[in-house]
Amino acid sequence: MPDTGIEVRDLHKEFPVRDRGLFGPRTTKTAVNGLDLDIPAGRITGLLGLNGAGKTTTIKILATLLRPTSGTVRVDDLDSVADARAVRRRINLIAGGERMVYTRMTGRENLWYFGQLYDVPKRELRARIDELLSLVGLTQAADTMVERYSRGMTQRLAIARGLINDPAYLLLDEPTLGLDAPIARDLRRVVARLAAEGTGVLLTSHYLAEVEELCAHVYVIADGRHLAAGSPAELKTATGSLGTVRVTVPQVPPAVAEVATRFGATRTPADGGGEILTLRSPDHMAGPLAAAIVGAGGAITALEIKEASLEDAILALTDGTVPGPVVLA
Amino acid sequence: MIDATRSAARVFAAESLKQHRRLFGQPLVVFSMLVWPILQLATTYYTLRPVATASDAAAHWPLAADPHRLLAFLATGTLAYAFFFSLVQSAWHFSFERTTGTLELLFLSPAGRLTLMIANGAGALLQNAWLLTCFTTAALLGFGTLSVASWWMYGVVVLALLIPAVAWGAFLNSLLVFSRDSAFLYTVLDEPLWFVSGVRLPHFALPTVVQVVGAVFPLTGSLIAVRGALLEGDTLGALAPTLGWLTLLSALLLAAAAVILRVGEAHAQRTGRLRLA
Repeated sequence: MPDTGIEVRDLHKEFPVRDRGLFGPRTTKTAVNGLDLDIPAGRITGLLGLNGAGKTTTIKILATLLRPTSGTVRVDDLDSVADARAVRRRINLIAGGERMVYTRMTGRENLWYFGQLYDVPKRELRARIDELLSLVGLTQAADTMVERYSRGMTQRLAIARGLINDPAYLLLDEPTLGLDAPIARDLRRVVARLAAEGTGVLLTSHYLAEVEELCAHVYVIADGRHLAAGSPAELKTATGSLGTVRVTVPQVPPAVAEVATRFGATRTPADGGGEILTLRSPDHMAGPLAAAIVGAGGAITALEIKEASLEDAILALTDGTVPGPVVLA
Repeated sequence: MIDATRSAARVFAAESLKQHRRLFGQPLVVFSMLVWPILQLATTYYTLRPVATASDAAAHWPLAADPHRLLAFLATGTLAYAFFFSLVQSAWHFSFERTTGTLELLFLSPAGRLTLMIANGAGALLQNAWLLTCFTTAALLGFGTLSVASWWMYGVVVLALLIPAVAWGAFLNSLLVFSRDSAFLYTVLDEPLWFVSGVRLPHFALPTVVQVVGAVFPLTGSLIAVRGALLEGDTLGALAPTLGWLTLLSALLLAAAAVILRVGEAHAQRTGRLRLA
């Protein structure tokens, strides 16, 4: 079967809602409104947006748990509605912060149970279970009942469960939510390795540094609509997100004040005396600003550089500061 | 076909383990599996015994005059009831999977939905009923009340209990995919199931309306077949109408389960209610 990726075209999802009790009037709530997405094999694709943007609904449609109201989802050329069973063999979903496993079974038994449901070949299943338990750091606790696991251990088991069928496409909905930093870091490494080996990954996360680190391509949505798409760098450039340079100086003689005015830096008093000159700019202006201050006879006691962040770009897009849609390469 | 059968067998194995772990978490499980049914049997026996030995009762229901045969009648009733009610309990537990989120994971997998429902019920049945089955068999042998036409009628008895019970379990499980409320199962199916199916009383002693209502519950037919084969020495020919009705009823229950699952899953995919959290 060709790895043509996941293709989402003009996706709409409306939920029926009954406003008041059992006999209240029926209305509909639009969760996804005309989305187009491409999630190719071997790439980590980000799906970003504020709460209620439609990310989880979109992921559940891709996972076949929800049916689109209109539009199509094709997974390696298979229709997610008509060929749902074949699609389910090729995908899996990991939702962070959730512990959807059976507490009265051991970790190993849980993985065996889901391996049976996915019909993973018997000779592969045993090795895969060992590999996954090792991957999520549960080898020592493999034969312990899950009801005796800590919250983090249970969550790690849920991650292993999502990999049991060696999915061609992995849907990650806030996968590191609530995980300890070392485990979250290990999971990011695993995801990067899976993508390098050819797995197509769709990632939603509130940790934008994580998205920036992992995703080659990002979609930004709001109210179920497409706002922007591109690499994190392209999004930052397109939204004009600004980096920040903060220079602390012990004194501001007139020549240094003139430099601050020329560069457009703001002046604020620093704790312990002196002033902080803050410059927000899309370019890396730390060097020229520092050189100009020293050239004007000033001294520098501290220099802090903060590059433009994806968070700034997302906020600019979702605040409406930058009119969407912004479609990049 | 071979692949489908193999996949189904793997789902059955998985569900059997899950049910085993769920049911055998602590030694107290023996109470629900054996002690509780025996207490029910004893209560029923000592409630019925004074009435059954009255002269008029024996004239209408000769079996009641013999304490061993009465006990055997009630023991078979308790056994068959345990088969069917264990599936009510299993379906009730299955409904918890909606709130824990694991139901969503089952539907995320490619496993056949009807296979899952049948396997879930069958797994619970095997775990729940084996101990009581052993006890009842030993008791019937001990009473000396067994009257079986031929050895293979034991096989007929097993099938007359197992197949309708599993179909019943799959039907109940499918209802809970569609509906989020499971408490109604206990209300509707505990005492009424005892009463309308003739667990404690012979079917003929029940009012006609109750007999008609009871006929739609597979437990009724299973009881008639089990008691006929084990206590009355009925042959396969004599039980053919009952077994035919049970087969039809089981097929209808499985067909209904398949339809409800299809409609229920489509409904859940439309509304997003496969999970309650």
